[in-house]
Amino acid sequence: MKELTRRSFLQLNARLAAIMGLGANAIPALAEAVAKIASGTAPLLWLQGQSCSGCSVSLLNSDPLTPARLITQYISLAFHQTLSTATGEVAVTAVNTLIDKGGYLLAVEGAIPVGMPSACEFGGEPFARQVARAARKAKAVVAVGNCAAYGGIPAAAGNVTGAVSLTEFLQREGITTPLILLPGCPAHPDWIVGTLAHVLKFGLPDLDEERRPKAFFSRLVHDQCPRFADYERERFAVTFGEGGCLFKLGCAGPLTKADCSVRQWNSGTNFCIKAGAPCIGCASRQFVERLDNPIYVKNPTAVKLS
Amino acid sequence: MGKTIVINPVTRIEGHLAVKTEVVDGKVAAAFVTGEMFRGFENILRGRNPLDAQQITQRICGVCPIEHGIASIQAQEMIYGVRPPDNGRLLRNIIQGANFIASHITHFYLLSALDFVDIAAISSYTGKDSEMVALREWVKSQVESRAVLPAAPFLPRYAGDYLQDNDLNCAAIRHYLDALDMRRLAQQMGALFSGKMPHAPALVPGGLTEHATAHNITAGQALLEKLRVFIDQAYLPDVLAVTKGFPSYFAAGKGCGNFLAYGVFPESADGQSPFLPGGALIGGNLKAMDPNRVTEDTASSRFSSPSGLKPANGETVAAPDKPNAYTWLKAPRYEGQVMEVGPLARLLVGYADGRNPLVKSTVDGLLAAIGKTPADLPSVMGRHAARAVECKLIADRCAVWFDQLVPDRPTFADFQISESGSGVGLTEAARGALGHWLEISGRKVSNYQCVVPTTWNCSPRDDRGTPGAVEQALVGTTVADANNPIEVARVIRSFDPCLACAVH
Repeated sequence: MKELTRRSFLQLNARLAAIMGLGANAIPALAEAVAKIASGTAPLLWLQGQSCSGCSVSLLNSDPLTPARLITQYISLAFHQTLSTATGEVAVTAVNTLIDKGGYLLAVEGAIPVGMPSACEFGGEPFARQVARAARKAKAVVAVGNCAAYGGIPAAAGNVTGAVSLTEFLQREGITTPLILLPGCPAHPDWIVGTLAHVLKFGLPDLDEERRPKAFFSRLVHDQCPRFADYERERFAVTFGEGGCLFKLGCAGPLTKADCSVRQWNSGTNFCIKAGAPCIGCASRQFVERLDNPIYVKNPTAVKLS
Repeated sequence: MGKTIVINPVTRIEGHLAVKTEVVDGKVAAAFVTGEMFRGFENILRGRNPLDAQQITQRICGVCPIEHGIASIQAQEMIYGVRPPDNGRLLRNIIQGANFIASHITHFYLLSALDFVDIAAISSYTGKDSEMVALREWVKSQVESRAVLPAAPFLPRYAGDYLQDNDLNCAAIRHYLDALDMRRLAQQMGALFSGKMPHAPALVPGGLTEHATAHNITAGQALLEKLRVFIDQAYLPDVLAVTKGFPSYFAAGKGCGNFLAYGVFPESADGQSPFLPGGALIGGNLKAMDPNRVTEDTASSRFSSPSGLKPANGETVAAPDKPNAYTWLKAPRYEGQVMEVGPLARLLVGYADGRNPLVKSTVDGLLAAIGKTPADLPSVMGRHAARAVECKLIADRCAVWFDQLVPDRPTFADFQISESGSGVGLTEAARGALGHWLEISGRKVSNYQCVVPTTWNCSPRDDRGTPGAVEQALVGTTVADANNPIEVARVIRSFDPCLACAVH
């Protein structure tokens, strides 16, 4: 049994290494990480602020490292509001026990309403206070999704709750725990799983100037776009459902760093541009930020700015 | 003298929910349901390009993005005067159907089952199933380890009267593991046509940017077949087993007794003839549904906006410190009445409507299987059972929609954004009736109001002090142990609350 478990660990590690873009020599090291995590040395605490749970739903779409294996063999998921059996006081106690002990990885989904603390509460405590407590005692913090990374929709123009990103919040609070940003609305499950695994074994992955893992965010969507040849030949779609480059419909691929074009979504099934939909820049800081920078261009009055 | 029992947070639902109950003589005498998170989507939408609304409103909820996208698109299509071609309509039905299937399976196994099934039964598993053996060994190693929270996220939990039959427990645990895969496959089935899940890029007014091809149709059919097998061979039997194990829950969580459905899955080119019909079932009488009869009260809500407004003229002005307000949800009412929405409401409305024989035979088949009458269905177990048979009904219908697709026909009809106008998009999310009210002025969103399924179900008291649907359903619930109020949690979860949706 033990041998079988070890073998299946190694198989999964090979897949994980592939997801993370690591070479085969990383596999034994990851196996150690698995053993270490399974023994409970580095649990994961997942907290939700002003979120839609979309990044959690996305994480559950992880494949081939599927959620059951992820939870039982890779990540010791100490608490997650949507998945944990613990509820009410049992849940509050579980989270606080973990925070008291420290040394966990913290994943945060959602923005933080600093201007209106009661706009997000957990167990009667403003989320802002809870996440500050949790971030101080964490080994590292992962801002999952555009809301946590850049503020997303809650912090966009029209923001009435004083919502800010986790990035800005930690700065304001003077919390210096290492931070990684995984923007995207939602974040891709491979980005989440690959990053958590990297942190657990190797420490911080190689990050760019915005603290995004280079493994996933080093190139523009446009650069690896399946419609790149259309762009080169200036064959542009002028309305939805047409072939050709989607730039004139507002495609944000030339402005957005993410590997969607090659990684694709939902087990490599499809992604925005392949489905004929312009990239909406959901992994970029500018996503829905301003009123005068609409997602789509569909008539003469809606001019897409940079 | 009563005792106050607070469950805060209620986990294994979507979002931030707290419930306070006053318990007298071991029974809930009053309940207060609180939505704990507000973002202000309706404020953020103002002044934007209306086309962006179908992307932004999808982000209200990562569990029901498709339904928000479709409600927004329908409101826009009403204004722009455009309808999707048949392939567009069918693919939208399939995408929405896939999201329902993912949501219903997730709700039963991931969110609810652990209130009934004894997860600890895995320790005594003696079979040879490799996934189960791996889970058993993991639990064992966790319990022996010095982990801060061993066997999380499955433990700790409330003490309670879990299922005693270990074979049933182990079968359900196996299916819990399968359900994780099945919900992913359902999302994949949607992504074939929606671009990705959650938050689908291909949804647009006028149809869909994606096309139906021989390849993606057959891929979708293959995924659907796996889901239908799981629904037939695991989901339905497991729900049936839980209803048999907990018969008293056909008498618990009765609720307000009024049911609202808007109708969903258009079967005709004009966007009408919903597969699951709309209607308002008030005091047992079915009435035609009229969205003009929806209003929202704010007396108990953290908004200073006027009370009793129709959504078309609705306002959202946050007032976090408003006296006597205890939630971020407004209190929607239909003809002034509290209404329950969701799979049970859809089936009861469809049953009373009688036009879709499949709904009638599904409900009759369910009643025969559980040995109950329609009067037993408004209950904790009735809601779980209704959700399960609806999942089958929709999955089976998806197969028909696949057959109706003609590869490579148009999925999109072009339109222009109107200078001004107002529209309403009414559809159903997995958890119930969903409406978006949109007003455009100068080609910008000038007002946007969403009345969402859980806004109905988890509604607070209205201006007259009448409690909302879940608040009413909780009254009378027996609580055996105030420190482990699992009965309260079971009633709440039977409604499949989605709080990010409810407040938005």
